[in-house]
Amino acid sequence: MFKRFPNLSSDLLHPVKSLKIVVMESVSFKLTSHFKLPTGLLGGALSLDGDLLIAACMDGIYQADLKTKEFEKLGEHGSYVSSAAWLHSRGTFLTAGYDGVLKWFDDESRQVRLERKLHDFWSWDMAVSQDQSLIASVTGQYLSGGYKYEPLTESEPSVLLISAETGEVIHRFEHVPSVQAVAFSADSQFLAAGNLMGEVRIWNCRSGELVSKWTTPDFTSWGIIKSHCYLGGIFSLCFTPEGNEVLLTGMGPMRDPMAGNGRQLWQRWDWQQSPPVKRDETHKNESGEGLMETIAFHPSGKFFVMGGRLRGGDLNVAAFDEETGNRIASLKTGYRVTEVLFPGDGNKMILVGMQGQPGPDKNGQVGKFGRIESYEISGLSN
Amino acid sequence: MNDSFPPISNSQCGSPEHTVHRRLFLQGSMAASLASVASFSGLFSIPTYAEQVQKRSKKVILLWLCGAPSQFETWDPKPGTSMGGPFGAIQTVLPGIQISSLMPKCATILNKFTIIRSMQTEPSEHFQGIDVMTRGEKPRPPFMRPILGSVVAEQLGHLDSPVPQFVLLDPCPEGNEFKAFKAGNWAGWLGAEYGPVRAGGEYSIPDLARPENLTETDFSDREALRQFFSRKFENDRNSAAAAAYNAAFNRVQGLMSCAPLFDLEQLPAADRERYGRGAFAQHALQARHLIENGSTFVMVANGMPWDNHVFQHEMHQMLVPELDNVLFQLVTDLEERSLLDDTMVIAMGEFGRTPWINDARGRDHYPKAWSMAIAGGGVQPGIIYGATDPLGVEVVENHVDNRKLFATIFSALGIEPGQSFNLPNLPTFHRVEGDVQAIPELVI
Repeated sequence: MFKRFPNLSSDLLHPVKSLKIVVMESVSFKLTSHFKLPTGLLGGALSLDGDLLIAACMDGIYQADLKTKEFEKLGEHGSYVSSAAWLHSRGTFLTAGYDGVLKWFDDESRQVRLERKLHDFWSWDMAVSQDQSLIASVTGQYLSGGYKYEPLTESEPSVLLISAETGEVIHRFEHVPSVQAVAFSADSQFLAAGNLMGEVRIWNCRSGELVSKWTTPDFTSWGIIKSHCYLGGIFSLCFTPEGNEVLLTGMGPMRDPMAGNGRQLWQRWDWQQSPPVKRDETHKNESGEGLMETIAFHPSGKFFVMGGRLRGGDLNVAAFDEETGNRIASLKTGYRVTEVLFPGDGNKMILVGMQGQPGPDKNGQVGKFGRIESYEISGLSN
Repeated sequence: MNDSFPPISNSQCGSPEHTVHRRLFLQGSMAASLASVASFSGLFSIPTYAEQVQKRSKKVILLWLCGAPSQFETWDPKPGTSMGGPFGAIQTVLPGIQISSLMPKCATILNKFTIIRSMQTEPSEHFQGIDVMTRGEKPRPPFMRPILGSVVAEQLGHLDSPVPQFVLLDPCPEGNEFKAFKAGNWAGWLGAEYGPVRAGGEYSIPDLARPENLTETDFSDREALRQFFSRKFENDRNSAAAAAYNAAFNRVQGLMSCAPLFDLEQLPAADRERYGRGAFAQHALQARHLIENGSTFVMVANGMPWDNHVFQHEMHQMLVPELDNVLFQLVTDLEERSLLDDTMVIAMGEFGRTPWINDARGRDHYPKAWSMAIAGGGVQPGIIYGATDPLGVEVVENHVDNRKLFATIFSALGIEPGQSFNLPNLPTFHRVEGDVQAIPELVI
């Protein structure tokens, strides 16, 4: 059941076990508006002022006005639309889909001005560099490659680095399918991509050199009980503002992946060490169960937010102090969150996602199940 | 075959055979063993049927898709609809017929299959669904209906063959409800000898090789001596226990003689690569090998991987292409070997999955409208039977339930679906209840 006012909490009660003096951030979220789109949102992108949302939905691309709650369908892909991004400096927004296609839209006319078939399989995720010169898209179909269902090696390059201006592919990078998450560093110099098996690879965007590679087993399940195969993996990642560390998120391992009851998990890795070093992860008793699908830093850099699904526990969105990793706020939204978005001024947080798809009514109509919520952020120190 | 059934006795002398009876009773299977005896008189009681069965010698490979696959991502796609999911549909060799884009290989040979798109069954939970779709009927305690494989092994099997007639290949020791089901009584009233020999993965059959320090001659001499004394004891004492021990020895000897059939490493490397590297694919190839070498019914499973309440699309993107390739290779191989007409390949689970996507990226249980596939073995090829509405919510044409499906399977195999059985202290039952007939369009 949809809760008009989700539980709000600001839990700053966990002592910091460190000798240095740490000022823990305080933050709270207040729901200010919410509305629905016809189908689930798998991603979204905000305009510079934060008032307009380009929504990547299961049935197409929507433009939604967060103030008026009006929305309009702009177009479709050949399948689900998986992600959206703005190229503000170029008057363009982008969408990528499970049809493997990337589309450039003119933000005035809202017409497609460029289209590229990037992958034979899905574009699982797409990202734009901070300087807006580069686009990355990741793909890969999980296919059986061994008796225990180890992933088959890729049949096409899993990671593509593309010119935002021309749409030409600059680099094709190898990875192990399925590659489900991609992100640029804040200085646009590096690209990170994570996969089903918990393997992260980082490349230098200019040279194309693979500069770091490691595997964390903590996001992947091999089904002991029901399914002798692999499930899960890294579903979202982002660089820290300084760029020397990467945050990963997904779901902790399970004996029965079909249960979806793994720990809501983030990990923080210093990728510049050799080998890379895990610096931190979701603290004990600060998470519930369920797949986390998005992780993002607040523009201030003072905290980051992870979001996803609630399977067990009392939260599906939580904010964590950048320095201590302690949870500083949490939400229980009552629906699956697929992306956390912040406008540039950092005063708001937009959550997008979906509730379970309803069955058709007696007239064959299916109710809306895409979800958009806007939260006011308060309590953040200067 | 007569001596394979233990005698019925009311005595309480504590002999081994009665210990067995008491154990069966404790397992709730007393009626089953009684029924085994009662049924024997009915076996091949119709001469024309007996001749037909022996002549046709049909076999079955059941690809048991436990957990229940999605009809939308296999045989009944609904592209472009709100329920259709992210995968597209592709044209098949049958004009106007599309299946999921995850099944490009089957699309090229769909004219070899019958696809039923109008399955409509009752149970919506796994254990009950598995029960109904493997036995053909809901439970009727204390009567335990034999599983399809046991019936086929009994009716069509070669009981003097050293090769097990009913084999279950399933490397996954667990499987939630399927695990519980596997621990139950599969052969029902037919008796344990019609239960499956289980192999696959951790279930390799141990100790089948003759000890190295024992020569073949010594082994044969010892076995001859054992047989002489145990047969003598069996005859002198009229002992069912000794008969059972002898039957067990015979079965083990049979297994020893066909041990290579259970060794994946013995299969041609090119075939193993062609079928695919996953456990399910490897065991499907092994199933073909067993059928070619004398087994009558081989059931291939791999735990319960299709139960995708979470990660529906993430799992089906891997499972369906594997199934697509396995079906393609199996059907093509059987046809090339002139075995398809007499070998039925069935691919089904216990129900289907919901048209709507839940909030965990999953589809839930849905018995109201689902699909399954059959090829060969006396089933008419190239038929798409039944239909669902545009969103796949309801069956709108030619409903098929478990009874109708089983009547069709039995008829195609030459097994009389309507055969009645009169068991002591139980009402009359039938192989397929309700006087349900096979779907005539589907049986050759």
